[in-house]
Amino acid sequence: MPDWKQEILRRLAPLKLAAAREAEIAEEIAQHLEDRYGELLNSGKAEAQARELVLAELSESDLLARNLRPLEKPMPQATAPMGGGSREFWGGLVQDIRYGLRMLGKSPGFAAVAILTLALGIGANTAIFSLIDGVMLRTMPVKDANNLVIFQWKAHKGFLDGEYSSFNDCGEAGIGTTGCSFPLPIISKMHALNVFSSLIACAGPAELALSGNGPASIVNGEIVSADYFSTLGVNAVIGRTLGASDESYSATPAVVLSYAYWQSAFGGSRSVLGRTISLNNVPFTIVGVAEPSFTNLSPGKRQDLWLTIAMVPRLQISWGSRIGSMENWWLLMMARLKPGVSLERAQTAATVTFRNEVLNGTKPYAKATADPQVVLTRVEDVLVGRRGTLSMLLKLLSAAVGIILLIACATVAGLLLSRGATRQKEVAVRLTLGASRGTILRQLLTESVMLSFLGGILGIAFAYWGVHAITALIAEGSSQPFPYVIAPDWRVLAFTLAICVLTGLVFGLAPAFRSTRVDLTPALKENASTLPSIGTRAGRFRLGSALVVAQVALSVVVLIGAGLLVRTLQNLRDISPGFDTRNILLFEIDPGQLHYEEPQLVNLFTELRERLSALPGVLSASYSSDALLSGGRWSETVHVEGQPAGPGIQMNIFAAGPGFFENMRIPVVEGRMFSATDFEQAQQIEPAVANPRATGEGAANVVPNASVNVLVNQAFVRRYFPVQNPLGKRIVEGGGTSGAEGGAWGTDAQSNHWQIIGVVKDTKYDTLRNEIRPVVYLPFTTSYGGYFELRTAGDPHTLISAVRDAATKIDDRLPLQNVTTQTEQIGDLMSQERLIAKVSGFFGVLALVLACIGLYGLLAYEVSRRTREIGIRMALGAQRRNVLRLVVGQGIALAIVGAAVGIGVALGVTRYLASLLYGVQADDPATMVGVAILLVLVALAACYIPARRATRVDPIVALRYE
Amino acid sequence: MEFAASDREWKKGSAELLILSLVEARPRHGYEISKLIEQKSEGKLSFHVASLYPLLYRLEKRGWLRGRWVEKAGQRRRRYYRLTRKGRRVLASQQQGWQQFVEAVSRITGDVAEAENA
Repeated sequence: MPDWKQEILRRLAPLKLAAAREAEIAEEIAQHLEDRYGELLNSGKAEAQARELVLAELSESDLLARNLRPLEKPMPQATAPMGGGSREFWGGLVQDIRYGLRMLGKSPGFAAVAILTLALGIGANTAIFSLIDGVMLRTMPVKDANNLVIFQWKAHKGFLDGEYSSFNDCGEAGIGTTGCSFPLPIISKMHALNVFSSLIACAGPAELALSGNGPASIVNGEIVSADYFSTLGVNAVIGRTLGASDESYSATPAVVLSYAYWQSAFGGSRSVLGRTISLNNVPFTIVGVAEPSFTNLSPGKRQDLWLTIAMVPRLQISWGSRIGSMENWWLLMMARLKPGVSLERAQTAATVTFRNEVLNGTKPYAKATADPQVVLTRVEDVLVGRRGTLSMLLKLLSAAVGIILLIACATVAGLLLSRGATRQKEVAVRLTLGASRGTILRQLLTESVMLSFLGGILGIAFAYWGVHAITALIAEGSSQPFPYVIAPDWRVLAFTLAICVLTGLVFGLAPAFRSTRVDLTPALKENASTLPSIGTRAGRFRLGSALVVAQVALSVVVLIGAGLLVRTLQNLRDISPGFDTRNILLFEIDPGQLHYEEPQLVNLFTELRERLSALPGVLSASYSSDALLSGGRWSETVHVEGQPAGPGIQMNIFAAGPGFFENMRIPVVEGRMFSATDFEQAQQIEPAVANPRATGEGAANVVPNASVNVLVNQAFVRRYFPVQNPLGKRIVEGGGTSGAEGGAWGTDAQSNHWQIIGVVKDTKYDTLRNEIRPVVYLPFTTSYGGYFELRTAGDPHTLISAVRDAATKIDDRLPLQNVTTQTEQIGDLMSQERLIAKVSGFFGVLALVLACIGLYGLLAYEVSRRTREIGIRMALGAQRRNVLRLVVGQGIALAIVGAAVGIGVALGVTRYLASLLYGVQADDPATMVGVAILLVLVALAACYIPARRATRVDPIVALRYE
Repeated sequence: MEFAASDREWKKGSAELLILSLVEARPRHGYEISKLIEQKSEGKLSFHVASLYPLLYRLEKRGWLRGRWVEKAGQRRRRYYRLTRKGRRVLASQQQGWQQFVEAVSRITGDVAEAENA
């Protein structure tokens, strides 16, 4: 019989149909022709004639193709080998994806576990990357940020001798030898250079007392040069920005509000334009509101409003009192280069001017040997703002989620491997039918990348939730909302996309290669679920075991890290600060901002304390120079009587007001408490002693040869007078070499003299982490600012409005700052630790869960593979518990090996956590053993389910496979 | 009158109707359809393979027919075409349309014949 198919295929060839479709058409029509041919022969036609007649059915050679063309789409070859032309490749890919989806649909359980696992891994990474993106990678909200350069100076050590403030814009590194702050006179000189098209300066934010809009409050004001907004390309959303008219010292004070502050404090009302508010008691007119996208230059810094440098002298900000001086380095300087001017040329010109000013000015500032230089850098690379404080956390989280992703990959690779075993026959059939290894490899990899994409889609949802949870956690520990905008952008999407592809390849590659290494004959012969081709099976299990060991080891590392951090938090919580922290309301006042003078100040503190003590619900009130456990402390150089002469000791100082120790419940252990006379005497002798912020004028009041009575803590006594009686011993304040030498005690009129009258119990001062160090308690005298402590009968929060009222009655311009409770303040101190402990704990649990899924998957596969073996064992008399032991033992063995490897790795890497730990060593054996035990217990649970299934194997059914 | 191969347009409209009608009662395969057309038209109508199968595929693509490979014991598999619900609706309206068309044509041609006879 003629080969009809060949005839048909020849006619179909020009259509370039997909192979499957082509074959189908050929089959159908060939059958028709065959029937016709048979019929013709039956009717007595000769073979040759019949053949001719049948072929005539196909009529002209191209008619079939012509009739089919409008109907059939040309399709690329279905089993195109790799590299067979891009059209074929993409066509094949589409088919691979379709096929992959069908295969996933066939095993929904596997697909669900794999996708969920990947979603957790990818979601965690996307979430953390969104944070990194928002905190570290966002471009500045200004026009053409790439062309904006910032000035930095570099010099040898000892160059800088003046007052230097940085507001943390450029980070803390290299203080003394490099910096971003410059004095005002240098900025004026730089202005004159003809290499910059514009040059701006700014500093801050300064905390300013605002009144004239509801209750007095504190706002963050950024101090800027007049062309700040025009240079940055920032416009006003209403009104105008600051301009040249605001720059003169005689100009009407004007402020521009930030959009966020305008919304929160003025409800976004347009009537703010022209309104007057009072900043540090100086009236300012609101002239405009900046556009919403412009929040700040330094990432994460909050700015409520902007005002010009010329306004600073009126505001009486402590650090801004000598703003025009060469001694006062406080302004950041940024510029845009003139077109055609290279960075090098501008840098050289700036360095020449800078050197000329600091070395040869009217008052030379430094020696030429200091070799001062100016470096111009892209603004974005230098202004780090608050990024520094978050970067440690983000690094830690990145490491944790990186490991989680690896575990997820290992888990899914393990699942794929087990599944590969059940698909062995399918692969063998395809290989026998002529599919190349490459084709099958591509199919399997397509499936794994597809899995990771599905995981990625779900992961983005997880990430969205995760980012909200983490930023809420960060904000919870601080009084301000999270200052960064975290929103998915193209970078986050690109990252997730990349991670999906990479993940798909990583977890898919090994199982795919393994699957295509099939010994065809046995694979085709046997039912895949019963008889192993021993070599491949053993290898498959070895690879699976290695994956489980890796998962367990990685999760042990994450868990140990988390365990150490959680124990740190626990240890910090358990610290006794040495005073009663319950029911204390704290707040700060800074009357210096309101231009209070000496006698008024004394009255203010005394009167406020009296009023507050009289409030119902307040048990007692006191004030002090600092609040305990606020994170800050005051120290001075002193000489202690009986100590060897030298440059002096850095001593922690704390000024306590009347009733402070009683209020905080800190007992006196030796000597006596401060008396009213001690405070009066101290006030009379030297206001400046207890007043680190006051400037020199007070020194005129020094009464020679009188001393201030002070208290010390137990740590002081232990350090300096371990055997002697500390009472009556003297301390001299000052960094000079005066002191014990030549019996000069009490005779040096230039120094402040203190005499110890009592010893109080040790308390923590600035932080919980720091060990208790020697402290000298001075009697509180008037200070430009101070903290109040109120011991309340019940919840301190209920008293806040009454306290505000009491303060307003004395002076309605006086804002209460940092209102909090002692417990909250301690909570704030631990916010970073709490955050890290919570997040790492969460990731630890996640790692554990993923490792368990992996372990479960491998054992479940093992049990199904060994059904026959287990059946034989049971037929030969093995008990259920023997079978249970067989399976569980295998799982536990893997878990123990993994835990051991994990502990080994952890010993190597946890030392990087050392700086975050408290009261626990990086190689803490208890944590390591605890985590190992936890893991083995959880592994036991993961093994139990497959093991139970193994015990239910019916020997008869199992043997029927034979 | 014979339908010549060149009367393609003519054929196309009627051919669809023929095929739909033939599979109305039960599913049939391509050869069966072509044989039936030939037999029932007493050899007046016939389809070449090159036009029959593209037509079947077109009807299938439109969702009027549904082809299915059926394998019966001891036979090679064959593709059977079944009328779909959509196809049934199309067939009903085409039959009606055809009926009206034929009536209209015969009225005209009848008139002409009468006039000539008169």
